[in-house]
Amino acid sequence: MIQFPQATNGASPGHRMPLARQLTTAVLLFLLQGATVSAQSPTPGGAPPPPGMSLAASAAMRFPQPIQVGDLLQRIVIEPVESQSYLGKLEQIVRQSDGSLAALITLDGFLGFGARLVAVPVDALVLLGNVVEVVAFTPAQLRQLPSVVPGTTTPVSLNEIIKVGLAKPSH
Amino acid sequence: MSFRPVKRPNSAILDGHRPLLQSLERRGLIRGGLSLGALSLLTGCDMTRPQSVEEALLAISRMNDSVQAWLFDPNKLAPTYPASMVLNPPKFNAYYDVMDVKSVDGSNWRLELAGLIAEKRPWTLPQINALPQQSEIIKHICVEGWDYIGQWSGVLLRTFLERVGADLNAKYVVFKTADDYPSSIDMATALHPQTLLATQYANATLADPFGYPLRLRMSTKLGYKNPKWITAIEVTNTYQDGYWEKLGFPWFAGL
Amino acid sequence: MNKRHGATRMSNAIALRQTARPSDKRLHPWSVRIMHWINAVAMLVMITSGWGIYNDDVIIRGLLFSKSLRLGDWAAWSLNWHFAGMWLLASNGLCYLVYGVAKGRFRERLLPIRLRDVIRTVDDTLHFKIDHSDLTTYNAVQKILYIIVILAGIAQVVTGLAIWKPIQFSGLTSLLGGFQSARIIHFAGMAVIVGFLLVHVILALLVPQTLRAMLTGGPRLIPPGQRAQEPLP
Repeated sequence: MIQFPQATNGASPGHRMPLARQLTTAVLLFLLQGATVSAQSPTPGGAPPPPGMSLAASAAMRFPQPIQVGDLLQRIVIEPVESQSYLGKLEQIVRQSDGSLAALITLDGFLGFGARLVAVPVDALVLLGNVVEVVAFTPAQLRQLPSVVPGTTTPVSLNEIIKVGLAKPSH
Repeated sequence: MSFRPVKRPNSAILDGHRPLLQSLERRGLIRGGLSLGALSLLTGCDMTRPQSVEEALLAISRMNDSVQAWLFDPNKLAPTYPASMVLNPPKFNAYYDVMDVKSVDGSNWRLELAGLIAEKRPWTLPQINALPQQSEIIKHICVEGWDYIGQWSGVLLRTFLERVGADLNAKYVVFKTADDYPSSIDMATALHPQTLLATQYANATLADPFGYPLRLRMSTKLGYKNPKWITAIEVTNTYQDGYWEKLGFPWFAGL
Repeated sequence: MNKRHGATRMSNAIALRQTARPSDKRLHPWSVRIMHWINAVAMLVMITSGWGIYNDDVIIRGLLFSKSLRLGDWAAWSLNWHFAGMWLLASNGLCYLVYGVAKGRFRERLLPIRLRDVIRTVDDTLHFKIDHSDLTTYNAVQKILYIIVILAGIAQVVTGLAIWKPIQFSGLTSLLGGFQSARIIHFAGMAVIVGFLLVHVILALLVPQTLRAMLTGGPRLIPPGQRAQEPLP
């Protein structure tokens, strides 16, 4: 039980406590509500392709730049939002059966459990400095992607140069 | 590509800014819808911020500019780095997303000159590339807080200004660009040994999103002071706001 | 017994009690109170505008400060508040440090810290014995927390300078591990100060005499060496 100090000027402590407790609660509530997210600015970077546009066309609009495959591996993958939420890590670039390029990304699970490897078309990604952003899929859509079975994909060699689009920071 | 707001702004508020909007739309800088928030970013007006507070903060910001000018050591070089640390491609940023970058035709491009400059004939890209070239690997620091190490090559701005007979005792060097992004800097920084008129990144011609054919590269100022797609340089004693200064950002922005 | 000896001893005892009088010094002189409240405002300005600046490029992915908590509705104004508040924080902070050292207040209030006092205070706190009948002595945990927040405040100014001028003060920025490292330390310092503020404000509200003392000066101090057995009002 908390023992409250005796007020030395004669006033009773019991009279003060409710106000002090109210103020304490108010301060705590005010500070705790701050831990939540998020506020997007009106001109965020990394907007998704407009409805109806193909991934390839939307990637082509983003001034794709040449980059060596080796420079992409192990890059952090984030969401195109102000909070730059972590999505996962880029493990490999592979060529799919239709000839298009995809990135194998280890999608972060919840608290480290349930991490899965998924294939995301390179046209759905952008370069943002030294990280990669997924612009054409929401995190929910990414989680719907089937897991990649290791060994069923053809990796692209490390020194091959591929083109990836750009975006400005998302805030 | 456009960004459509969830809630339509009260159109009466936009009425007062219609001339600005029309001007921006005509120049192809805005496509589609415009949110109220974007408007406040463009015009710098905000309905929730009292003007007196704003004016006080801006006055202090100008005082800080003087302090920064006093702190600036024209002989101090920024650290340089090994080529292995260069980020390629570099990080893109602008006041619009990359889809709205307007490529410049390098063969028709001319660098216009104005103000306190003796020889004002425009320069072509080959003429600029014929000037003594210098390369530097330095850190780009953005006011947002991120940084990266990049390599830029080009002619020293100082060399260029001397070549065209600019008044090196003037106060400001002002840049105009193809994307309506003016920027003005103090002469001391313009003459700094690491201030380049850059035409190359990582030993290759600047790519379109990164300012082709010409951009400013300083080592001693924040990223937003370094304009890309430069079309004109003016030497003057008249202060001019840059793009972000009109929206409240500091002018000196020294590192 | 010799009557004269007894009388002398009695008058000596009375004389001793008469000299054990409180001084005119209050716990918190007016200059300390002014500097404390200026500091409170300055720190709140720096913290909330700093959160606005942080949002522009987060240090911890996924952590964003909500709009209601930031000072400056977007980056330009958070920066302007931060670069204005820094003058108030630094000048007032410098006055406070100089005062504290020159007037001996730090030595008097915050030292010494003995390990056994720390253990006893932590033990008391865990048993919810928050005794503040004597506001004029700080317990060991209080002393440690105040020293921590003073050091954190100094660290914020130092790391802040390294972030503001990574080229002009490149030696300092290098010492801190580079620009990003200085940012991270600056953020950590903020977390320490915010943590301190939470404890400080909550405890001040739980023991309102301390709040009143920082407004009106608090109890008069008894000169050291003459402390009475019972606390004086």
